[in-house]
Amino acid sequence: MNAALGHAGVLLALASAVVGTAVIAYGLARGRSDAGRTGRVYAVLLLVGAVVATGAMEHALVTHDFSLVFVADNNSRSTPLLYTVTGMWSALAGSILLWGLILAGYIAAMVWRFRRQADDPIVAWATLVTFVVAAFFFGLMAGPADPFTTVAGAVPANGTGPNVLLQDNPLVAFHPPLLYLGFVGFTIPFAFAVASLVTGRVGEGWQVATRRWTLLAWGFLTVGIILGAWWSYQVLGWGGFWGWDPVENASFLPWLCATAYLHSVLVQERRGLLRVWNLSLVIATFSLTILGTFLTRSGVVASVHAFSDSDIGPLLLGFFGAVLAVGVGLIAWRGDRLRSPGGIDAAVSREGAFLANNLLFVAFAFVVLLGTVFPLLYEALRGQQVTVGAPYFNLMTLPIGFALLFLMAVGPALPWRKTTAGTLRDRLMVPAWAGGLVIVACVAAGVRGLAPLLAFGLGGFAAAANLRQLALSARSARRAGVGAWRGLMGRANGGMVVHLGVVVIAVALAAATSFGYRAQVTMRPGQTVVMDGHRVEFLRLVHVATPARTSTEALVVVDGGTTLRPAVSQFGPATEAVGTPAIDSGFEDDVYLTVNALPVGSGGPVTIGVVIQPLVSWLWAGGSLLVLGSILAALPGRRRPATDPVSAPVPDVARRVASAPPGPAPPVPAGPAGAGSPPPPPAPAPAGAAPRAPDPGEHAGEPVPARSP
Amino acid sequence: MIARRLPDAGRWALWVVLLVVVGVALGVGASRPGPPLTAVQRAQSIDAQVRCPSCEDISVADSSASTAQAIRQLVVARVRAGQSDQQIDAFLVSRYGPGILLRPPDTGVTAWVWVLPPVAVAAAVAGLASALWRRRGAAAPAVSEDDRALVDRALAQRAAAAGAGTGDTPAGPRGAGSVVAP
Amino acid sequence: MTPPLSASGLDLEPAPSGVRRRHSARWVAGVVLVVGAALVTLLATRPPQAATEVDTPLLGQRAPAIAGTTVTGASFDLSTLRGRWVVVNFFASWCPPCQQEQPDLVAFDYAHRTPGDTALVGVVFDDAASSARAFMRSTGAAWPAVVDPDGQIALQYGVRGPPETFIVAPDGTVVAHFDGPMTGSGLDYWLARAQRGTP
Repeated sequence: MNAALGHAGVLLALASAVVGTAVIAYGLARGRSDAGRTGRVYAVLLLVGAVVATGAMEHALVTHDFSLVFVADNNSRSTPLLYTVTGMWSALAGSILLWGLILAGYIAAMVWRFRRQADDPIVAWATLVTFVVAAFFFGLMAGPADPFTTVAGAVPANGTGPNVLLQDNPLVAFHPPLLYLGFVGFTIPFAFAVASLVTGRVGEGWQVATRRWTLLAWGFLTVGIILGAWWSYQVLGWGGFWGWDPVENASFLPWLCATAYLHSVLVQERRGLLRVWNLSLVIATFSLTILGTFLTRSGVVASVHAFSDSDIGPLLLGFFGAVLAVGVGLIAWRGDRLRSPGGIDAAVSREGAFLANNLLFVAFAFVVLLGTVFPLLYEALRGQQVTVGAPYFNLMTLPIGFALLFLMAVGPALPWRKTTAGTLRDRLMVPAWAGGLVIVACVAAGVRGLAPLLAFGLGGFAAAANLRQLALSARSARRAGVGAWRGLMGRANGGMVVHLGVVVIAVALAAATSFGYRAQVTMRPGQTVVMDGHRVEFLRLVHVATPARTSTEALVVVDGGTTLRPAVSQFGPATEAVGTPAIDSGFEDDVYLTVNALPVGSGGPVTIGVVIQPLVSWLWAGGSLLVLGSILAALPGRRRPATDPVSAPVPDVARRVASAPPGPAPPVPAGPAGAGSPPPPPAPAPAGAAPRAPDPGEHAGEPVPARSP
Repeated sequence: MIARRLPDAGRWALWVVLLVVVGVALGVGASRPGPPLTAVQRAQSIDAQVRCPSCEDISVADSSASTAQAIRQLVVARVRAGQSDQQIDAFLVSRYGPGILLRPPDTGVTAWVWVLPPVAVAAAVAGLASALWRRRGAAAPAVSEDDRALVDRALAQRAAAAGAGTGDTPAGPRGAGSVVAP
Repeated sequence: MTPPLSASGLDLEPAPSGVRRRHSARWVAGVVLVVGAALVTLLATRPPQAATEVDTPLLGQRAPAIAGTTVTGASFDLSTLRGRWVVVNFFASWCPPCQQEQPDLVAFDYAHRTPGDTALVGVVFDDAASSARAFMRSTGAAWPAVVDPDGQIALQYGVRGPPETFIVAPDGTVVAHFDGPMTGSGLDYWLARAQRGTP
């Protein structure tokens, strides 16, 4: 019954997507204005189909319906409820189902959100594109990756349970869904990008409308990646959190392009520049999510994430190729319409910084993509194996990371269009001294090594610069009478908080990777050793048996405080034993313990692996700052009068285009504008000319807090 | 801030002092010799560059697999016997092939993976720089009447508001997140 | 229908540099498409699993020494088999492909019982001697299985994981290396090829 229901749901969703595509295409071809509206109902049907299929799968899992092959392979009667529910995405076919569900949800939300502009061809085209993507994924489920295949022959009495690594930590309930909410979320901006290219209307309207979607997807993806690193750290036992694994890289590549896009779109909004960059970045982000899915699912690379290879590899690769071809082709076709009025006037300006930012992120993505794909290409061409591992990635991305830290410090202080040396000199004085003092303090404390010192110094510089921005924003908000805390909200200020989070993460990475300590020690019960300043005392071994797992735990006391229990565990009968690490997390460092070898006889010595890395807890703190900053960025900021001497999207034109409620705010009556040194009103000069205001740096550095829909 | 009261020359001087201080500190920190590496530590640093043959993408130093333990044992023995890092790497490559090292070799076809990124970045920077150079002095685009009308209307609104508002402290424009120079 | 954005610039006459820029955008697009197509083609033609016969730097080299005790306690030295073709098989009792290939190996061993014929030698990979012995006994395998407690023999042969099989010529050089479960017909085929001397 579950299988039938599941199949019905998948087929309903597939049919809705296909018919919806056809209906909208027909309407657009005939020039009918209600093309988008008639397509809407199919979005609802798509969601219904997806929900029914997901419900059927979860029901089958929870009731241990082993007549389904998927349930028999990924569930057992002794699997706890949490891991039963998360079993849906522990393997290939179910994870495609999760992708389909989330995609259907996003499409329904998009259709609802733009329901008042459903007559706009851009919305119709965007809906069509999302339906095509949905048709692909549900088509996969209807055929090669069917989650509802039934067991041929007798129904087994019990299943084999999910992969042991997927049932010893509750993070399995969060990491994949959040990651998918991120990946799938980029479908919407991509759809609008294609729609605007196809219709030739490449103005700002669609970007303003989808900006929050992109930020939302980016936020989910960021959290998903950080949780993945945390999970890897907690579970895998090697003490690391990022191995430049091909699948980790596959999730990182779209993140890099999306981050570049989120920055670069500010330039387009402000000055109408970098259109081709922005469209390319959106298309690249979505394409990379498909390529990433291919790398993860096709078995082409061996990885912690590799599910058994299946037939969907070539299909995913083909879809990737099609998406890339369509995107690039559209940009080439509409190339002439994408030329911007005006251009970047000076390299040292906010636009120049964003352009450099784009370049750095794309270079970063290029390095990661090259390193990930090169071994596959090499083996295809030469038949020999070569490894591109962590040392390569660390070495190649280090200079890019430093450059990005530098830009993070300097960028927010740069005015638009152009600046003088004096402006920068004054604005960056305090942050630069902060960074310098950090370096001096570290050297005085005994830190050695050029790379970590540079990282700490640049981190201090960037942190101080971003804190300065926040302080100025809070002060300005307080003076405007709305409370200092209002100065922390809005896109620009949220962005500063996100940068702070990135700085904290960068500093933590530098410390953990440069000054980690790793050793293996054989200890008898009651023995104490001192390692890297920590006292490690091994008490004894205990055996623990619960219905879900049996394990042999080593009781270890670190620094006379908490008792840690690294163990070797078996989850379910007849499964292989895995090591489960135990971690003592502190502000300064983490002590990470694993049981590397159990004694042969009872009372014998245990071999314990010890990894001590400084500042690891800062990674997760930085991640929380990233999330906080994203939330702050999504909140509405304070409005800024349109005539402040920085170019801005003129509100009522933008309102005409987007007419998306709530539209960008009309210019607020400026109120008691600061009477001190207001720049003379720009003469009725061509809009593209540089304003000859005195000291343009004085005011031109404002981040835009526009009320975005 | 102190800087506010200094003349321009003073502010530049502060920067120069900063750069000197940072330069000295970095020099001291970077050239500071660490404690001499013990055999175990040297072996660990070699292990960190060797891929665990039976794992997915982690180094021999990080892995507890049997193959990794065997390699660690061999590396320590050879380090104690006085072999150099290159000799030990070469031996491992002679048994497992070049894929055993986490760093791709920088000769042959794999040299591309080292060369391509810097070359691509340099080419991109050169391309952008030349595009920027070519744009210097380009004429500003013409402005439509619509735009002029919008600007005039907005300026009139601002003037009206400024006229109606109370005199305020010279605190700079009242915008959210406005950055006022220190 | 909302009218298109009428901000300045979209309907400009193309400036002299416009033509050049249009071409360069097309060039860049073309390059990206070509690179993308090449990438897709290469990734598509790469088989997801490694091929059975795998290159190794040991090909053509002297086979590393295998000397030690077998699971039954007898002593063994590979050099005593010089002058015969030898099939060296790294295995473990816990490894499903090893269990899969074992009947084929048993049949192969039985077919080549005559003295002087191809010899089969096993090396235990990351397994307790007792488990390996039980495995050999329960599958009816009678060839020597050398114990490798610290994994050094596997290291010398560059073995990443069981099952891996090497064919060693009578002069002691390694002539073939296989990754994955062997079949009887596969072994016969490759041995015949090696004995004929074709690469």
